[in-house]
Amino acid sequence: MATILINGEEHTLPEGAALNAIQAAQLFGVDIPYYCWHPALSVVANCRMCEVEVGTRDAKTGEIRMVPKMVPGCQTPAKDGTVIVTNSEKVREHQRLIMEMLLINHPLDCPVCDQAGMCGLQDYSYEYGQSVHRFVETRNINPRKEVSDQIQLNQDRCIMCTRCVRFAREITQTNELQVMRRGDHAEIATFPGEPLDNPLAGNVVDICPVGALLDKDFLHKQRFWFTSKHETICTRCSSGCNTVSEENRGALWRTRARHNPEVNDFWICDEGRYTYKAANSPDLLTAMYVRTQDKLNVAPVDQAVNTVAQTLTRITREGGKVAAVISPFLTVEEAYLLAKYVKGLNAANVLALGPVPVVGEDQTFTPDPRKGRTGDTSFVVCRPFTIRAEKCPNRRGVEAVLAHFQGSVIDHATLADRVGKKEFKALYVTSDAIEPAFTAADAQKLRPGVDFLVVQDVWPTELAAAADVVLAGATFAEKAGCYVNAQGRLQYGKAALPPRDGSLPDLDLLCILCKRAGEGPVSSRDVLRDLAAEVSAFAGVASGKVPVFGQPLGAPADGQAEPHVYVEPWLITAKARGERFFVDAPAKS
Amino acid sequence: MAKFEPVLTRLWDVPDGHTLKVYEARGGYQAARKALKMTPEAVVQVVKDSELRGRGGAGFPTGLKWTFLPKGRKETFMCVNGDESEPATFNNRILIEKDPHQFIEGIAISCFATQARVAYVYLRFEYINAFRIMEKAIAEARAAGHLGKNIYGSGFDLEIYCHRGAGAYICGEETGLIESLEGKRGWPRIKPPFPAIEGAFRKPTVVNNVETLCCVPHIVERGADWFKSIGPPKSYGPKLYTVSGHVEKQVCVELPMGVTTNELVREHCGGVWKGRQGKAAVPGGISMGLLSAAEFDVPLDFEAIRTTGCLGLGTAAVTIIDDQTPIVDVLYNTARFFAHESCGQCTPCREGTGWMYKTIKRIKAGGGRLEDLDVFANIADNLGISPGTTICGLADGAAWPFKNALAKFRPELEDYIRTHQSAAKVTPLQEQVTRGERPALFDPPPAGARPALTTTRK
Repeated sequence: MATILINGEEHTLPEGAALNAIQAAQLFGVDIPYYCWHPALSVVANCRMCEVEVGTRDAKTGEIRMVPKMVPGCQTPAKDGTVIVTNSEKVREHQRLIMEMLLINHPLDCPVCDQAGMCGLQDYSYEYGQSVHRFVETRNINPRKEVSDQIQLNQDRCIMCTRCVRFAREITQTNELQVMRRGDHAEIATFPGEPLDNPLAGNVVDICPVGALLDKDFLHKQRFWFTSKHETICTRCSSGCNTVSEENRGALWRTRARHNPEVNDFWICDEGRYTYKAANSPDLLTAMYVRTQDKLNVAPVDQAVNTVAQTLTRITREGGKVAAVISPFLTVEEAYLLAKYVKGLNAANVLALGPVPVVGEDQTFTPDPRKGRTGDTSFVVCRPFTIRAEKCPNRRGVEAVLAHFQGSVIDHATLADRVGKKEFKALYVTSDAIEPAFTAADAQKLRPGVDFLVVQDVWPTELAAAADVVLAGATFAEKAGCYVNAQGRLQYGKAALPPRDGSLPDLDLLCILCKRAGEGPVSSRDVLRDLAAEVSAFAGVASGKVPVFGQPLGAPADGQAEPHVYVEPWLITAKARGERFFVDAPAKS
Repeated sequence: MAKFEPVLTRLWDVPDGHTLKVYEARGGYQAARKALKMTPEAVVQVVKDSELRGRGGAGFPTGLKWTFLPKGRKETFMCVNGDESEPATFNNRILIEKDPHQFIEGIAISCFATQARVAYVYLRFEYINAFRIMEKAIAEARAAGHLGKNIYGSGFDLEIYCHRGAGAYICGEETGLIESLEGKRGWPRIKPPFPAIEGAFRKPTVVNNVETLCCVPHIVERGADWFKSIGPPKSYGPKLYTVSGHVEKQVCVELPMGVTTNELVREHCGGVWKGRQGKAAVPGGISMGLLSAAEFDVPLDFEAIRTTGCLGLGTAAVTIIDDQTPIVDVLYNTARFFAHESCGQCTPCREGTGWMYKTIKRIKAGGGRLEDLDVFANIADNLGISPGTTICGLADGAAWPFKNALAKFRPELEDYIRTHQSAAKVTPLQEQVTRGERPALFDPPPAGARPALTTTRK
């Protein structure tokens, strides 16, 4: 049992983890400020913000011997008997000095800086800095430059932590970024004609602790404090990266990566980063339609849903078979409800997996603990990051549902052939894809095969134009629910946007069709609970609650305590910070 | 004191002393032959017994450094630090140019002791002549069988490669040197891991100074006891002192350790120039600090020099400053050098050296304030590996001259500030500062010069 002493309090370290002082302190709620350290990057100890006093305690005598000088916390292993002091006057004095030094050449243009509100310099100035400044010389002004078409570098705001340089060297191993010149004239630079254009480039904006690297896509569009942050799952490919979607005034403005060591570590790809734009599209369906007199007319939601329910019931009663296409963009809850509904009409009805878009090949970035690194890597756990060719979030989840209800998975092409042979009387197609999934060719193939066609989608496609009923569902941003990624990990993502006018989330539509008991909007957690009770592969989430880092499909619930999720200190919410740092408000009497 | 017989410099005045023929005729490469018949451990032990301390600046015991190499290692590299960039230091250059074979023999013995089969000689960019002489000497030595495969039938292989730096002071720091050698930007690495565990190309590496290795053949040949008979305790052996600055004759002279500044100036340099008096001296490269005239009798060795408040002996490059030179000028040059050479990695050094340079520049230009000296003192106290705020010792080097100057010459600095208040200020800001006003850092530009607000947005 390894114990360490932080500010005089004894803590027990978790077994088998190689942690540095910062990580260990974070585990126990003590903040050591830092800029250059990042858990996935090698330790270079150059910002010198994390300096602490360190010592060792003799296991037998209990005598504490301190190292005479300060030591960077990022470089100090937390071992049995390590003593860490983070709040002594010496350490505070040093933190004030570093803050003063970091600001002497900083433009302090916070009012027009996109990082304001999520900035390491701002937060630490408040918590560890000082209000007086002794520097009266002229500042160095480094130029602003572009490191790629997408990313701008405000070199005057840069504090030379070199996180971005190490990211390009160690994670993508593309080495676009370098440090140029020396001393206080040092700057981050790219080689002429070699922009920072790798598929993960946008992450340098996420890891920049100050406003130096900024995304031109977001530049001057929103203030950080006006956006609401939603913990979402990226639906761009089957990796299922954990993301944060920022929403304000009914639109998405930006997507950032969220830490999940089991899936995406700290990164997302640029493709996924800019997928949010699809959710803001003005072309999305904003009404339900029902075909009357051979013409699609806008219809109220209840009329559209009732038409579907009544027609499908009638066809079933008349002995006709119904086929349903379950899109791999649906959540497992939606897939479950749809399968339950269609199979509930007639056990001989057929379910098929929707079209699975595949583009190119999987692209994996495999960081190596030795390759390209210059600093200490003893605290780094290298995890590969994959951009998958399968551009849908939930094929495996839908397949698991299909396997339960039908035993086998029928793919979309097979079903389309069977529809062409007029095997079915009605067809229920779902999509909710990020881009319109069905073309005129699909419409020509599917429409003549059935008497009644329902399309539940977010895009006005050719297939929707040919349908008898069009149900406007929810985009990826508007739905909450679970997806099963390519590794078979079930993850829960929240909705980032409210439902569009004229649409109803798929989950609600399907609940009405299923005549599910209860009133008001349905919670995906309740449906997940039903699903877990019925389908054994989902038994691990029988409580309806999905663990923070997801739940492997088919595995039992592990009952572990909540894991520690890494969040950059300058992104910790005001509330969580307030509990730790700021003076408590006077108690109400 | 018995007359000191030159050791490292014995061939300097011999015609063609840099050739293999002359070197061998004077008993060259005998030490290497002797060493290669011993076991590597025995050679390490001899060097350890001699208490040879590194000549590069820090004075770390060489034999001890070699024992830090891990047992059972497969591959070891030797890096020789010839990036002699400390201002006014030039002993390595002369050592290489005048007697390259002594150096090569030293490398060969040290590599044998540490079992390194490849040695890299990292020379500073400007040492073109030394580089050419080394290349030639290496070729000669290889042709004669002193280098290459199976040297003297002992089964030991050694190749030496010369590498020229690109002109950065920081590459004289051992890990900065290794980074530079690997083809990267010369940024010092954090320690641990120390180079002995993980150095060049992530293999165990020994980094030694040129002069240190030149001592090794003599120690092996004549024994540790002979070596310890020279110089004061804890600072054994001969040392090359380079004296420059305001002296009549600028020299590089080999002496036992423990000579004083006064002795150097009077006996070897013909006194301070133009008949003036010395006011201050740099004991061993400017990064080691400043000696006042009162301290000119302190022995220049690894231990005694510390009693003066200087950082250490450094490279033993003594620079004399005469009594007509303002200390502000010395500090200005020093600050400019370190602000220019700071690698830009650690915040305190990157910003602190630049800050000190800008302030001393303002003082020199006639815009100083007395409180600037307190700012200097505070910054200097918080720079470097001694307070633990930087990765390498460059910041200590930048801080120490200021620390020493403030301790030893503060009245002069205050006088300078009082008497040098120039009417012509370099910037309006400095004018305000001199007038004692609070400077507004965000003065709006004249109305006409203000750019129009742009309303277009992408």
